Amino acid sequence: MVPPNLVRLIYRNVRVNTDPASLVILLGLPAMYLIFFGYGFASVVAAGGSSGPYLSFLAPGMMAFQAVMAGTVGGSMLWADRRWGMLAQLLVGPFTRIEYLFGIMFTSLLFGLGGAAIMLALAIALLGVSTVPLGGGLVLFGAIALGSIFFGSLMLFISAHVKSNTAYNSIQVLLLFLISFASTVFYPFSTSLPYALQVLFAINPLTYIADTARNGYHGALTLTNGYEMAILAVETAVLLVLATRAYLRSDVSTE
Amino acid sequence: MLSPSRFPGGEPVISAERIRHSYDGRKFALDDVSFSVARGEVFGLLGRNGAGKSTLIKAMTTLIQPTSGTLRILGHDPRREGRKIRDRIGVVQQGESFEFASVETNLDLYGFLWRVPRTVRKQRVEALIDRFGLGEFRRRRSFDISGGQKRRVQVAREFMHDMDILFLDEPTLGLDVLMRRVLLDSIRSEVQRGLTVVFTTHNLEEADYLCDRIAVIEEGRIIALDTVDNLKRLYGGKKTIDLTVSASDAGRFFPALGAACGASASITTHGNAAVLLVEDPKEALVTIVGLSQRLGVQLEWLTIRQNTLEDVFLRSIAPPGGANGPS
Repeated sequence: MVPPNLVRLIYRNVRVNTDPASLVILLGLPAMYLIFFGYGFASVVAAGGSSGPYLSFLAPGMMAFQAVMAGTVGGSMLWADRRWGMLAQLLVGPFTRIEYLFGIMFTSLLFGLGGAAIMLALAIALLGVSTVPLGGGLVLFGAIALGSIFFGSLMLFISAHVKSNTAYNSIQVLLLFLISFASTVFYPFSTSLPYALQVLFAINPLTYIADTARNGYHGALTLTNGYEMAILAVETAVLLVLATRAYLRSDVSTE
Repeated sequence: MLSPSRFPGGEPVISAERIRHSYDGRKFALDDVSFSVARGEVFGLLGRNGAGKSTLIKAMTTLIQPTSGTLRILGHDPRREGRKIRDRIGVVQQGESFEFASVETNLDLYGFLWRVPRTVRKQRVEALIDRFGLGEFRRRRSFDISGGQKRRVQVAREFMHDMDILFLDEPTLGLDVLMRRVLLDSIRSEVQRGLTVVFTTHNLEEADYLCDRIAVIEEGRIIALDTVDNLKRLYGGKKTIDLTVSASDAGRFFPALGAACGASASITTHGNAAVLLVEDPKEALVTIVGLSQRLGVQLEWLTIRQNTLEDVFLRSIAPPGGANGPS
């Protein structure tokens, strides 16, 4: 049986993007955050009077963080395919532009969900027995899936516009830093933060994903999480349309 | 050259009528281009850098849509039926393209993308590794091999799948002489089995060796289109004289030679070398030798030979009436 075009493209994307170097960045970095920050900051958080172990706070945050990492994978795939000529080569092959685009989006999604599952396994190994309820777990992975598409679209949008390798890498590093640290992945939102940071926290989609993932992980979902997901879904839809338009209009033939 | 008698009638697999394309809306990279290619034909596109060859390949392979004109590939309109066209063509683009994987994975993965069954892929990978001499670096990543090796992989990869038309945009760029011949012979053997090939190159010997017909493109327009022999006759019917003098004499000798030969020869000069296309080589030799004696110029090199495709090319793109133009 011949797999459909989209499946073939996803298989290809996974196969060429699962080299050891990429995996270290994709999974090793968040895993190290989980271990070093989880244990390193535990004493600080405990001194501040936290009621639970910091690791159990950080673990769902790092799972949510996989959505961002998945997005960077998507953007990097498009970037690398343009840089190394495979985009134009695939588009003179038996694929449409839309199939190629969705191939990247679904691959990002797979990386996001796969990475989150590995973070969950790591958290279980570090924390002992997991208490993730089934419903909460489904919401957790749903939020990460939506987040992967959001950040995948964002990075695709950027890679469709940016022409220089240095500029693309600089934007990616800056965004990764801003999105990660102006969110509730590593620490909870606090009104004691400077106002500008509070605004950044509030508009950062990763905050919504991390909050929902955390509450799902602990079986404490609230109506606010529902609103957060609804907003994220709308933002994702808008960004996906923008990214698709930008990509379809970009001239791959001049690469 | 392959025989043109292999294409008796039949629907052309490529037909272009008055194709124009502009990237910026001002200058036309393709301007009023019309031609057709028969099934099983090897069609060469010759032209200088930026003449429009690659743009034409991109239009035929659906990467860009012509601004105007009618283009049919295998009976399909690239605007509406791009997918049907791409299903049946192979393309070796001018630029590098490879996966971040080993050489053999590059081949296998490409076959997979083209829906080639696993067992067939396995056989083809081995056959292509053997044919293109990829064995010694088959397990190395494409990033870690030389430019010429990458080019071999890129060309070999295209033979992983079946196709009706193969587009090759300067496929021998960076290949050594041996590999160039391997590639050209591979193409010839596929052509014998019915493959149609559209081929751009700077190497005129290759075009002479491989092509049934050639279109010379200059500034987006086809300025000559015929079989290689007819082009030689059209632009020749003449002999070529190659001539070299010392660098210090070139400045006074070549203008005097041009004046002495008049309309009976066309002269193209490059530094201290000149190429003359002449009707009567004996008469031209008398003129050259007499003039060199009169001016006290030492002739360093003087030969008479048959016209080559290079002569045709140089003559066809030379500006009419220019200093080095055809007479």
